Amino acid sequence: MSNFRGAHEKAHPNKSNTLLLAIITLLVLIVSMQIWLLYTGLNNALSQHPDIAWITFIVSFVLFVAALGLLYYLPERK
Amino acid sequence: MAQQDNTPDWKIDFPYSTVETLQVSRRQFAKFLCLVSGGLMAGSGLVAIKSSFFPERKVEGEHFVCNTAALPVGGTRSFTLPGSTVPYILIHLENDEWRAYEQKCTHLSCAVFYKPGTGRIECPCHNGWFDALTGEVVQGPPPRPLPALNVIVKGDAVYVTGQQPA
Repeated sequence: MSNFRGAHEKAHPNKSNTLLLAIITLLVLIVSMQIWLLYTGLNNALSQHPDIAWITFIVSFVLFVAALGLLYYLPERK
Repeated sequence: MAQQDNTPDWKIDFPYSTVETLQVSRRQFAKFLCLVSGGLMAGSGLVAIKSSFFPERKVEGEHFVCNTAALPVGGTRSFTLPGSTVPYILIHLENDEWRAYEQKCTHLSCAVFYKPGTGRIECPCHNGWFDALTGEVVQGPPPRPLPALNVIVKGDAVYVTGQQPA
């Protein structure tokens, strides 16, 4: 029976290449959003609005979990 | 076998090529980005925890700064509060009102100065400007208003107290 990882390994190198680039692009986007969230959280914390700092932390956590999840789709080293 | 190929012993014990150790593969880069993402998440968490559970100490009580005669209209005076190293400036505005602000720009903590006659406080580092009457940002990169103190004039003496949060 075929599974995701099996099909993944049999994929043409061009497909693996595209997949890897897509993952890196998404990770860069996630990190950029997290930098903005950290900046916003810090500014609000310094303006005595800790509730917004907590919201930015939760969103940042969700983005980190998404980044971890993306690593599952990394093509294996050939 | 390897010995016969004239491979030195240390290379057999430590079988890594220079190219392998210096090159960063795209897989490694993706994993590193994930590590950065975790670091940023941890940073956001620390900011939230610090602001909720270890907030900055509020200014308590009334503190004498100077006599009214010591500061002419348009003049400023730097001061610190007892037990603190945070620099403040007391400003005697042209409309005879008094204001006190933290002397650190909210952008990168450069010292800010009142520009007499303009009603504005200037941060010379990155051309940031604040309204001297309210402390609000008028122009430039500062993201927040200047933290303010309440100024109380009692007879000839000028005192400051902590500002109550809005």
